[in-house]
Amino acid sequence: MDLATSMMVAASGMRAQSTRMRTIAENIANANSTSNTPGGDPYRRKIATMTSDFDNELNATMVHAGTPVQDMSDFHLQYDPGNPNADKQGYIKLPNVNSLVEIMDMREAQKSYEANLNVLNASKTMMSRTVDLLRQ
Amino acid sequence: MTIAPAAAAAAYQALSNIGASAPTAAAGTAAPASSFSDFLSGAMNNAVGTMKAGEQIATQQVAGKADIVDVVNAVNSAELTLDTVVAVRDKVIAAYQNIMQMPI
Repeated sequence: MDLATSMMVAASGMRAQSTRMRTIAENIANANSTSNTPGGDPYRRKIATMTSDFDNELNATMVHAGTPVQDMSDFHLQYDPGNPNADKQGYIKLPNVNSLVEIMDMREAQKSYEANLNVLNASKTMMSRTVDLLRQ
Repeated sequence: MTIAPAAAAAAYQALSNIGASAPTAAAGTAAPASSFSDFLSGAMNNAVGTMKAGEQIATQQVAGKADIVDVVNAVNSAELTLDTVVAVRDKVIAAYQNIMQMPI
């Protein structure tokens, strides 16, 4: 049944957005995580990935959250000679996480989740309204 | 209201044919009276199975093993299946009562 399939597809989108939200949460939580060793690398930002794949059983294209990839952009450097984890020049590496970028990503994940929720709700309403015809 | 019993009889006949078609193909003999109950019990079993699947997933979610989205989906489909079965049953019982109340 097509409406049941559309509900399953919307659910897969919601699952993928939840996984993306988890990656964003990790990034925000670790925005200040530095290395434990002097001159070592801090937390590296993760980017959520999504892949579409065809489900033969449902005959529909579903979305799946892939393994998060690492953002290879440069770390931020901060002059902090008093920090025990700073390198010889007195600089400490901070994660390449930009809070503004993360907040934008979070908003997008939230809105995409809501869009999928609306699809789910609309499909359910269509089905139950059709069943309601039997009651008249 | 004069058309109602005729329509009801046609609906009842059509429904008993739906239930009868499967057993006739398999066994060759099926009484029309039992075929409707077969149809209804089959639909009910289906609905109960969907409800049980919904409950099972809800239990798994409480234990932290299932996604809330799966619970919503399973409970939704259980609800819709039960709604459909109940609506069909109400319709058929109304048709049956219409026939029973027919003055002969």
